[in-house]
Amino acid sequence: MTDATRVPLLSMRGISKRFGGVEALAGVDLDVHRHEVVALVGDNGAGKSTLAKMVAGVLTPDTGLVEIEGVPVSIPTPAAAHALGVATVFQDLALCDNLDVTSNLFLGRELRDARGVRDDERMEQVARQILRDLTSRIPSVRVPLAHLSAGQRQSVAIARTLIGSPRIVVLDEPTAALSVAQTAEVLMHIEGLRDLGLGVVLISHNMTDVRSVADRIEVLRHGRNNGSFDARTTGYERILGAITGAVRADLGVPPVAAAS
Amino acid sequence: MSTTTDVNVPSPTPPGAPRVSIGQRLQGLGGNARQYGIFGALVVIVLLFQVLTDGKLLLANNVAALFQQNAHIMVLAIGMLMVIVAGHIDLSVGSVVAFVGGVVATTMRDFDAPWLVAVLVGLALGALVGAWQGFWVAYVGIPAFIVTLAGMLVFRGLALVVVGETLAGLPSSFIRISKGSLPNVLGFLNNMDVVTLVIGALAVAAIVVSQLRARSALRKHDLHVEASGLFLAKIAMIAVGIGILTVILSFSAGGTPIVLVIVGVLVVAYSFLMGRTVFGRHIYAIGGNRAAAALSGVNTRKVDFWIFVNMGLLAGAAAVFTTARAGAAIASAGQNYELDAIAACFIGGAAVTGGIGRIAGAIVGALIMGVLNMGLSILSVDPSWQMAIKGMVLLLAVAFDLLNKRRAGTQ
Repeated sequence: MTDATRVPLLSMRGISKRFGGVEALAGVDLDVHRHEVVALVGDNGAGKSTLAKMVAGVLTPDTGLVEIEGVPVSIPTPAAAHALGVATVFQDLALCDNLDVTSNLFLGRELRDARGVRDDERMEQVARQILRDLTSRIPSVRVPLAHLSAGQRQSVAIARTLIGSPRIVVLDEPTAALSVAQTAEVLMHIEGLRDLGLGVVLISHNMTDVRSVADRIEVLRHGRNNGSFDARTTGYERILGAITGAVRADLGVPPVAAAS
Repeated sequence: MSTTTDVNVPSPTPPGAPRVSIGQRLQGLGGNARQYGIFGALVVIVLLFQVLTDGKLLLANNVAALFQQNAHIMVLAIGMLMVIVAGHIDLSVGSVVAFVGGVVATTMRDFDAPWLVAVLVGLALGALVGAWQGFWVAYVGIPAFIVTLAGMLVFRGLALVVVGETLAGLPSSFIRISKGSLPNVLGFLNNMDVVTLVIGALAVAAIVVSQLRARSALRKHDLHVEASGLFLAKIAMIAVGIGILTVILSFSAGGTPIVLVIVGVLVVAYSFLMGRTVFGRHIYAIGGNRAAAALSGVNTRKVDFWIFVNMGLLAGAAAVFTTARAGAAIASAGQNYELDAIAACFIGGAAVTGGIGRIAGAIVGALIMGVLNMGLSILSVDPSWQMAIKGMVLLLAVAFDLLNKRRAGTQ
């Protein structure tokens, strides 16, 4: 935030998307810098997940410009997103219950050895290392996901974002199904990601979580930007007002300007 | 927040003494126990029929015949397992076998092609049929049940077109594929075929070496390896099993059936494909959670497509075995093969919902069906009753597996 003049890690300009007759997004802007957690909040149907899915390569915008470190990009597939250094944790945990922890961490980006054969040993080693760094409570990386608790599964989902050293991490409702202690753990992980220098987009309904971990709060309403707030100084009521539409003070102000 | 229980990556913990909780050990054993359970069931069924048939079941020639008569089901079960693990089903393989078998026979009889060319034509045609069905499943998105139900009719119809009347009189070199054995080039030792003994010894050696190498690779990376006692017991049991089979086969009239060698190679190759390659892992991932696999960057369409191409290829191989064993192409060949292959997979522990199942399990499932067939035939049980008994075995095997899982799930 302190260096808003620098080229943003992720920059989205004028993003629009229609699903049939429904206008999901209409000219939305979003910037994410290094060492920054940007919370994307809004009521149900505001377009948060749609925007996240565009960064993740699941959806493509109808119009608008996406830049990563100043370079215009198109993200047609999840694999393309990963190649660009974008990692996403989806709302409905995109994990395979029948596979073990290591397999889930590396799914879609398996390591291969010099001969091109899948390198299970190295993957297991890296998996242990990453889970240890996250101080997660996974009993063993060889346990199928079906045997893990909701919190442990969330840890695995977040650990996935550290595979292949991404630059941008998108978390869609990462704490929705978690207990208080598990939520605290996830928030700690998010701070860890910021400390690593990553740009984080956090989508959440939980204002307490958002205000405790985010640097900047971007409000979406009816598929449009409806204000950008400094998470540390802005009061709860103002953000809530922007979400519900009671306050429209910041409408039209570019999000970055409001953050400085 | 708390220390993990599996932290021993760079720690000075000596290898071979990993810190594993007791619960975890039990869990590991539980998973393996279910896996060993199906092998145990096979052994029990073999011993049961060995007693019931007064020792006729394990006569050398019967064991050789067991493989010759069931090779096609084992080959189909390999392909079917991959289809089922990915969450699909293939109802068309029986018809495909009849169709490809007809074309193979025609190639040799009407075009005077050498048997090897006919076999290659059969495999290529099988793969083409698989590509056709894979296209509809993967790229059009029609459920495999529908596509292969249509395929069942289409290819049975085409088989009737190709095989207007039974095409007999195929060259003996072709028939040898299913009925022949490896030539006895090394003579006999106490009436035992030396070639068979050598192959058995090589198989045991290969398994021991590969297991040891896998273990040392884990050690090298400081990863958890199973207890050495358990490891040795496992290897010893495999070696004894292969040893017994080898000795029995070496007394048979021909020695090692050629189809056994082919099936053995296929089992090893496909176990590697499913267990140790990226493609194999993606098949399991798609069966476990298709949406998650797609979001993770797995190209689900491509994987689906190649699963069906592979199923077609193996159906082509099964067609070669079937046609060679019958010595003729018959329009009604391959009837119920799809059901036998599907049953083998489910008896062998594959999950109906996809995502779970092993090649070895499917092979054991096929062997259980084969032993039942042979044992009941030796006992001259009426074929109608044989069918009823096999149906009950399938039902009970899946029920047993389900109850097991439910119990494991409630812990």
